[in-house]
Amino acid sequence: MKRVCKRSIALGAVVLAFGLVVGCGPKKKPGLETDSSLTTQGGLGSDGSLDRFKAGGAGAEGGPLQDVHFDYDRYDLREQDRSVLQRNAQWLKQNSAAKVEVEGHCDDRGTVEYNLALGAKRAKAVKDYLVSLGIGAERLSTISYGEELPLCREETESCWERNRRAHSVVLQ
Amino acid sequence: MRRFRLIGVVALLAAPVAVESPAQVTGRIVGPGATRLEIAVSPLADAGGDVGARFAEVLARNLTLSGFFRVLDPKAYLEGPTPVDVGQIGFANWTVIGAKALVKGTVTPAANGFTIEARIYDVAQLSQIGGERYSGGADQIAHMARRFADKVMEYLTGERGPFDSRIAFASRRGGRAKEIYTMSVDGFDVAQVTNNKTINLVPSWSPDASSILFTSFMDGNASLYRADVAGRGARKLSSVHGLNLGGRWSPDGRTIALSVERGGNSDIFLLNAEGQVLKQLTNGPEIDVSPSWSLDGGQLAFVSARTGSPQVYVMNADGSSPRRVTFQGGYNTSPSWSPKGDLVAYVGREGGFNVYTLNLKTNQVRQITAGQRNNEDPSFSPDGRYLVFSSTRVGRPALFLADISGEHQVQLTKAGGDDTSPAWSPRLP
Repeated sequence: MKRVCKRSIALGAVVLAFGLVVGCGPKKKPGLETDSSLTTQGGLGSDGSLDRFKAGGAGAEGGPLQDVHFDYDRYDLREQDRSVLQRNAQWLKQNSAAKVEVEGHCDDRGTVEYNLALGAKRAKAVKDYLVSLGIGAERLSTISYGEELPLCREETESCWERNRRAHSVVLQ
Repeated sequence: MRRFRLIGVVALLAAPVAVESPAQVTGRIVGPGATRLEIAVSPLADAGGDVGARFAEVLARNLTLSGFFRVLDPKAYLEGPTPVDVGQIGFANWTVIGAKALVKGTVTPAANGFTIEARIYDVAQLSQIGGERYSGGADQIAHMARRFADKVMEYLTGERGPFDSRIAFASRRGGRAKEIYTMSVDGFDVAQVTNNKTINLVPSWSPDASSILFTSFMDGNASLYRADVAGRGARKLSSVHGLNLGGRWSPDGRTIALSVERGGNSDIFLLNAEGQVLKQLTNGPEIDVSPSWSLDGGQLAFVSARTGSPQVYVMNADGSSPRRVTFQGGYNTSPSWSPKGDLVAYVGREGGFNVYTLNLKTNQVRQITAGQRNNEDPSFSPDGRYLVFSSTRVGRPALFLADISGEHQVQLTKAGGDDTSPAWSPRLP
C-alpha cells in the first residue's frame, strides 16, 4: 500500500482524467496504477473468451446475450445490431443481478496494436448503447482481445465478419 | 594499410555497376541486392575440432543475409583451411573459382574456450584487408561469427553491419498460446521469453538489449511487463484496467512511451522506468497507439485515427506539435523510426497490406513489399539498412528481412508458427 501511495504522488494532473481514486491519504493523488479489483476483473472466473482459450476451447458466440458485428475498421453500431442490443437490454433488465463483460474483437487483417484499440472501441460502443437503454454502467465492463481470439481463421469475407464482433459474457 | 585495401575491394565491387549506370556513384554500388561480391568463407583451421567449421557456417549465413555477398559453395574450394598467412595462401586457387574476397583464420584452445583469429583477404590484390581476434567459450562461437560478419561489412561498406543482434517476436510456434521469443537474425539461436500459455504481444527492447517490454493477458488484463531476455524477473509496469499496449523505451532508457486504453479510448502516455506516468502525450476521442521514438528521443511517430482513419503522425516527445505524415490510402499503421535518421517504416493498406518507408525530410514514399499477400509490423535494424517484418506470402505469418531498397528479401522463419510483431534489438554489447 505504501508503494501505491508513493507512486501516486508523482503523477500530477494527468490522473484527474481517469476518475480513479486510490485512497491513500491527503497527499496522494489517483493515477494510472489502478486498484487491483479493477485490474483483475477482466475475464476472471467467467466464461469469457480468454478463459475458454486457456481451457483449450474455442471462442464462444451468443449465450443469453447475442453478439453484434461491425464493418471493417469501424466501431459504430449498425442498425440491425441495435435491435439485437435492445433484446440484450431486455434480458439484462429481467436478470437484474447479472453483470456483463463486453468483449471487442477484430478480424485478423491489419495491425495487432491498432486492432486491440479498435476492439476496445467496439466494446465501448456496445456498453454505451446498453447504458443509453437504461442498464447501469456499473454492471457492464469491457475488454478488447483485438484479433487475438478469432472464431475462425479462413480468409473469407464471412469469416472476417464473424470475427468483427462484440461478444457479451455474463459474469455471474 | 587497411584503408588502402578497403578501397581496393570497393573498387572490385563498383566496377561492373559503374559500367551499367555511371551516374549512380553512391549507395547502389555497394547496396545489398546490387552486384554481390563473390566471397569464399573457408572453415577456420582448428586442428580437428568443429569450431572452425561452425564459425564459417554462421559467418556465411550472415554475409548472405546482408545481401552484399555471394558466398561461394565450400565444395568448390581448392585450398584447405591452411595456410592462413598472406605470403603463403595460394590466391590463384581462389581466383580460379571466382572469389574476389576470402575469409580464413585459426582456432586455438584458450583458458576458458577458444581464441579465434579471422582474416579477410582481397584475392586480386593478394593482400589482407583486415582481421579480428575473439576469445570465448564454445557457446560464443556464433556470436563471434556474427560480430566478424558485421566487421566484414564495415571493411566493405564503411559501416558496421547489424547482425550481431537479436529479433524479439510473438509466435504461436509452441501451440495455441502466443508467447514472446527472441532469435538471432540468422535464425540459429531461438529462445523463449514468456511461457504463461495466454496471449503475449508486441515485444520491444531496452536500449542496452538486456530486457524486453511486452504486453500480456497473463492475469486477464492486457498489462505491460518488463522481463530480462530469458524471461526472468517479469515485472508488471502498467496495469490500467484496459489496454497497456506497445511500450517502447526512449533511446536514453529513462522513459517509456505507452498507449493506454481506459473507457474505450487509447491515448499515448510517457512513463518513467518504474511505470509511473510522467505525462499524457495525446488526448483525443479517437485511437492513438503505436509510439516509436526518433533516434535522438526528441520525437515520436505514432498512429492516430483522429481524422477517421488510422494514419501515421509525428509529435514532439512532450506531445506538442503533432503533424500527420501519411496521406496515401485509408489505413497506415505500425510506424518504426529508423535509428539512422529520417526514415519511418510503416504498414499501408491498398488491396493487401504492405511495408513502406517515408523520408520525413523529402516526403518521399518507397514501397518495400508488393504483390505478396500481407506484410506487416516493420522494425529497423540497428544500422538502419534493413527491416524485419511479418509476411503471409508463404502461408501463415513468418518473419522476413528486406533491405531498405526492398530489392533484397529473405525469409527468416518457417511458415506455420504465426510469427508476428518482430522487434530488432540494438547491437549486442
